[in-house]
Amino acid sequence: MSYEADPFYLRYYTGHSGKHGHEFLEFEYSHGRLRYANNSNYRNDSLIRKEMWVGPLVVKELKRIVESSEITKEDDTNWPKKNIVGKQELEIRVGDDHISFETAKIGALVDVQDSEDPEGLRVFYYLVQDLKCFIFSLISLHFKIKPI
Amino acid sequence: MSDENDEMNIDEGNGVVRRKGRGFKSGGGGDDTGDISEPRYERLEQSQARDGDTGKAARSVEGWIVLVTNVHEEATEEEVQDKFADYGEIKNLHLNLDRRTGYVKGYALVEYETHAEAKAAIDQANGTALLDQVLACDFAFVRPPPSGPKQRGGGGRRGRARSQSPSGRR
Repeated sequence: MSYEADPFYLRYYTGHSGKHGHEFLEFEYSHGRLRYANNSNYRNDSLIRKEMWVGPLVVKELKRIVESSEITKEDDTNWPKKNIVGKQELEIRVGDDHISFETAKIGALVDVQDSEDPEGLRVFYYLVQDLKCFIFSLISLHFKIKPI
Repeated sequence: MSDENDEMNIDEGNGVVRRKGRGFKSGGGGDDTGDISEPRYERLEQSQARDGDTGKAARSVEGWIVLVTNVHEEATEEEVQDKFADYGEIKNLHLNLDRRTGYVKGYALVEYETHAEAKAAIDQANGTALLDQVLACDFAFVRPPPSGPKQRGGGGRRGRARSQSPSGRR
């Protein structure tokens, strides 16, 4: 199966609605295409939407990062619920698993430790950081912009 | 939340897929602005004039990006730099760390100014070892397909549209 036909899918969203409107950051991988959107109204920043097509090795590495985290073994049932501060969503389809997790924003590791499911939430927390790190590197090298 | 439907096994067309998570219940995508139309995403326009025949690879704003994988977790930036400087001047190098362990995550992104340099790095370094681990190298970016990808992603995101027209979309 070619990597463009692979049902592998990944989407991450973090955001909230407040006095600066709907501020969010989102990235999505689907069928060879990587998309990034960031809306921060703070200091009159405007909406940024970028897309790029990535090669098979990038997809393989994304999958490796996802699979080695074993995120699909986790469950968001006991994670902090979204709140006024905002929410995070992580949707991944990989192999026979399709997860769509939703939780509150996590400010720091102490929020993870104090939660009802620190082990599961820690997996989520570090996976999100590793994914952001990889994808932001790709975006900043491709477009010469600094994400966030 | 109750745990009445922790897991759902749903046939998505090619075998049984295990579904899990609150995102399937809330029916929401992150983007709550309410606009249904597909927003426009900017992309880099590709012109071939500059570097001749580049095959499927796509140029980035300032050069060509090579992804290197299976990089040893204890590799240093200097070691990666030394190896890949053989093929041309490295304009940028990202050797990102695993956020939990602090070791190298396993990949490097190397930027060259010309397609020829990036191609040489890929052709010659792919399959060679660095600290006993065999590297894989390829262009990170490719040209967009002529028609774009099929409008079909994971599923949860499409929830908003689905609520308006439950069976009209697929």
